[in-house]
Amino acid sequence: MKSETVKNMDVLLRPEKFRAAVFDRTASEEGGFSNYSYWRSTIRTFFRSKFVVFIVALIGMLILMAFLYPALSKTDPGAISTNPMTWNKRPNADHWFGTDSIGRDIWARAWYGTRNSFLLAFFIACSDVGVGTVVGALWGYNKKMDPVMIEIYNVMTNIPSTVYLVLLAYIMNTSFLTLFIAMASRGWIVEARFFRNRILSIRDSEYNVASKCLGTPMRRIVSRNIIPHIVSLIIMETALVIPYSISSEVFLSFIGIGMPVDAVTLGNIVNQGRSSFALHPYQMLLPTAILCVITIAFYVIGNKFADASDPRNHV
Amino acid sequence: MRNVILSARDVEIKFRLREKVLTAVRGATLDLYEGETLAIVGESGCGKSVFTKSFIGMLDKNGWVSGGSLLYRGEELTRFKTEREWLRIRGKKIAMVFQDPMTSLNPVRTVGEQIAEVIVWHFGTEHEQAKREAVEILRRVGIGDAEYRYQQYPHEFSGGMRQRVVIATAIACRPEILICDEPTTALDVTVQAQILALIKQLQKELKMTVVYITHDLGVVANVADWVSVMYAGQIVEYGTSRDIFHDPRHPYTKALLQSLPQLGVKGCDLYSIKGTPPTLYKQITGDAFAPRNPDAMEIDFEAEPPMFQVSDTHCAKTWLLHPFAREHAEKLNFAEEARKKEAVAAQAPPFDYCKADKLLSVRNLTVKFRLSHREFKAVDNVSFDVYRGETLSLVGESGSGKTTIGRAVMKIYQKAEGEIEYAGKRIDGKLSKQERRELHLHLQMIFQDPMASLNERAKVDYIVSEGLYNYRLFANEEERMRRVEQIMAEVGLNRDFISRFPHEFSGGQRQRIGIARSLVMNPDFVIADEPISALDVSIRAQVINLLNKLKKERNLTYLFIAHDLSVVKFISDRIAVINKGRIVEMATCDELFLHPLHPYTKALLSAVPHPDPDRERAKELLVYDASIHNYKIDKPVWCEITDRHFVFGNRYELDMYREELGI
Repeated sequence: MKSETVKNMDVLLRPEKFRAAVFDRTASEEGGFSNYSYWRSTIRTFFRSKFVVFIVALIGMLILMAFLYPALSKTDPGAISTNPMTWNKRPNADHWFGTDSIGRDIWARAWYGTRNSFLLAFFIACSDVGVGTVVGALWGYNKKMDPVMIEIYNVMTNIPSTVYLVLLAYIMNTSFLTLFIAMASRGWIVEARFFRNRILSIRDSEYNVASKCLGTPMRRIVSRNIIPHIVSLIIMETALVIPYSISSEVFLSFIGIGMPVDAVTLGNIVNQGRSSFALHPYQMLLPTAILCVITIAFYVIGNKFADASDPRNHV
Repeated sequence: MRNVILSARDVEIKFRLREKVLTAVRGATLDLYEGETLAIVGESGCGKSVFTKSFIGMLDKNGWVSGGSLLYRGEELTRFKTEREWLRIRGKKIAMVFQDPMTSLNPVRTVGEQIAEVIVWHFGTEHEQAKREAVEILRRVGIGDAEYRYQQYPHEFSGGMRQRVVIATAIACRPEILICDEPTTALDVTVQAQILALIKQLQKELKMTVVYITHDLGVVANVADWVSVMYAGQIVEYGTSRDIFHDPRHPYTKALLQSLPQLGVKGCDLYSIKGTPPTLYKQITGDAFAPRNPDAMEIDFEAEPPMFQVSDTHCAKTWLLHPFAREHAEKLNFAEEARKKEAVAAQAPPFDYCKADKLLSVRNLTVKFRLSHREFKAVDNVSFDVYRGETLSLVGESGSGKTTIGRAVMKIYQKAEGEIEYAGKRIDGKLSKQERRELHLHLQMIFQDPMASLNERAKVDYIVSEGLYNYRLFANEEERMRRVEQIMAEVGLNRDFISRFPHEFSGGQRQRIGIARSLVMNPDFVIADEPISALDVSIRAQVINLLNKLKKERNLTYLFIAHDLSVVKFISDRIAVINKGRIVEMATCDELFLHPLHPYTKALLSAVPHPDPDRERAKELLVYDASIHNYKIDKPVWCEITDRHFVFGNRYELDMYREELGI
């Protein structure tokens, strides 16, 4: 090995090699190139941990199941049986997770409930984050809005959410829409403040000043300079609002002012399971398990995504 | 008698970065001697920081020493595994001072506690005793009223004082080796000189070995006994500082020295190193510098040169020292001589002010800021003119208000008092949207930090044509592409770079994108806000040349904002020196360097580092103290003392200045 390299050196070390070489300008510039991409690195960092892959797969399966089951299965989650023999059945081959006190199949109800609760939470998250981003952007850009908005923020966050929700639920009839309005009318302000702070820090960054000097109109600054920088935040916030909304719905149903009793939602199922918990504890098992998985998983996903979207972690 | 204290042999350091392995240090060999000063010089990204961090086991967690040996007093440091082993050495025997003083201090604890803690931690000294020692050390690093300042928090210190505190924590354990990683890069020139003097004095008192890591050769000439030049993870030349500055052998060392603006001739292109350092992901064959070296030989691309001994103290890793290369080397020397002569002959004539017309005129500009209910004047009653076709430089230290002036002219701040006139039209006060648009078509700005001033999520194509879109300066898509490609060629970037994102580029390339973005609009007047201060010395030359070239070709007028007088001398026709929001002196470039009048100007000039060890060591540092001015009764005025030489002073001072000039 050693002698080989020496021989190679001898071949190379000839006087004619010591002449001027041709200078290639492009080759000299190549060094600065790196093929880093923000989104690619974010996604790679996100999926690097096995736990995250597992959680995402789990959530994927849950959602798939929640939407496929109602479409494929013929079991009616609201079908009440008049035959007492079919009430409060323990898990068996027909009813994998048993039946409740009026003979409804818990397995079917759990999936219908997951779907409904999930849809509700998704709409709430979209409206919270959507309204929050827009208001936050305006707020961040308009110093004059500051006193008014901070007052609104203080008032809205200082009233305990339970009191507010209970009042609203009394005023309006309980329904999907009521619940949506009750939660969405409140959640946006927290998001607005969050986005306002973020936008405030991006607003005066040098590339925005540069864009202003180039005469870029406001709407293009927002669409090209600001929004691309907060997309990852929007995703993260949406992922974090979903579990919060689901647990709020459960809580409201729990204290009896959530959805109407005949609506199939996770909250109602858990609540009904609770009432017969002392005698038939199995009834609560599946819905609470799903609830736990959803809330924990979304929290993990939101937080891990926040970490992954931070360029400092892209190593 | 020279005793080796630390010896690094063929050290190789690797990093795992985004699933790829990068070799940051590729076999570096180095000896440190007791009580001597070594400077490691090189561009950013050549591995100098990483190399020295390995001496104290402070590599980032994705990096590791993959080969070679590090012998410290007979102990093999590469075998160290646990933190405990390292703690015996780190801080206690080998300490480090980092670039940014704010990040190395804990903001919520008093500086005294932080120093005392180091002493308690390493020596187990009693608390009271440690406190006394900490006060003593603070006094030692030149902090007056040390007992009182012991109880202050880092934010109550200025940048220079903070760096003194960092040095105090580093020397608290009387280390044998002090590593200073760019200790003065974040500081102003005058403060920089003071910190260097402090480190030198401490070294003598404590008999330390000091290692400087820097890209600034001026600093090196001042402090170093030994210099090693590092490139692409290898030490390419090593010698005493006289060897390196007076007789550089490696083409990279030569290029680094030649690209300093101090050595340039006004009106000619500054020597610049082409391109960027290589990525260390790839296997490098031959001399790593060859692709950027226009005078490279064929052998440079094929085989890695060995270390050739030039003299007892001087060695260099280049094929130019091989006997076969004698002919080529002679040719190079000859060409170099010819170039020098030519440069002197081609010196540009000074700017002709008699025929010039005013493009921008600023009168009594005052900009106030409110900081937590306290109002302060960032710019205080400043007046100046800029003539069409000239370069006026605003020079001052950080916080002097020079950037604020530029931004006020650019109308980024709406609330500025005073009159600003551009091309005969008043632009102060509130402008309508249309007027602003009109103004920005002629007036453009180049920003300081190429990292922060480009939108990371947009492609270069969009960034460069942003202004074109806003003003619809093109008839169709084809014309836009043509203009973008043309400006990319003008700033020396490849055409296919336009489909890339800014983070894919190095600092120098990014700054050129920033320049392209402003100049694609075809402005008449460009405000360049410290366009090179965030760049490496070697890259600075590229950007300076580019600015000069564009100025000539397009007949531009520059307002150049800088803190470095050496750069300014090379590029400007006139210089205005600004201190605490006021212009204290303004004159043509030659006049200011020949006859500086204001004491602040003199202090600034004395602090400029020179790449010549003999001159640096003999130099006397002037310190400016604002309390020498007595403006209580005799109010100062802005006075044209000789033709186009303005100075700020009261009657007594002006008389004194006149005497100095002999009129």
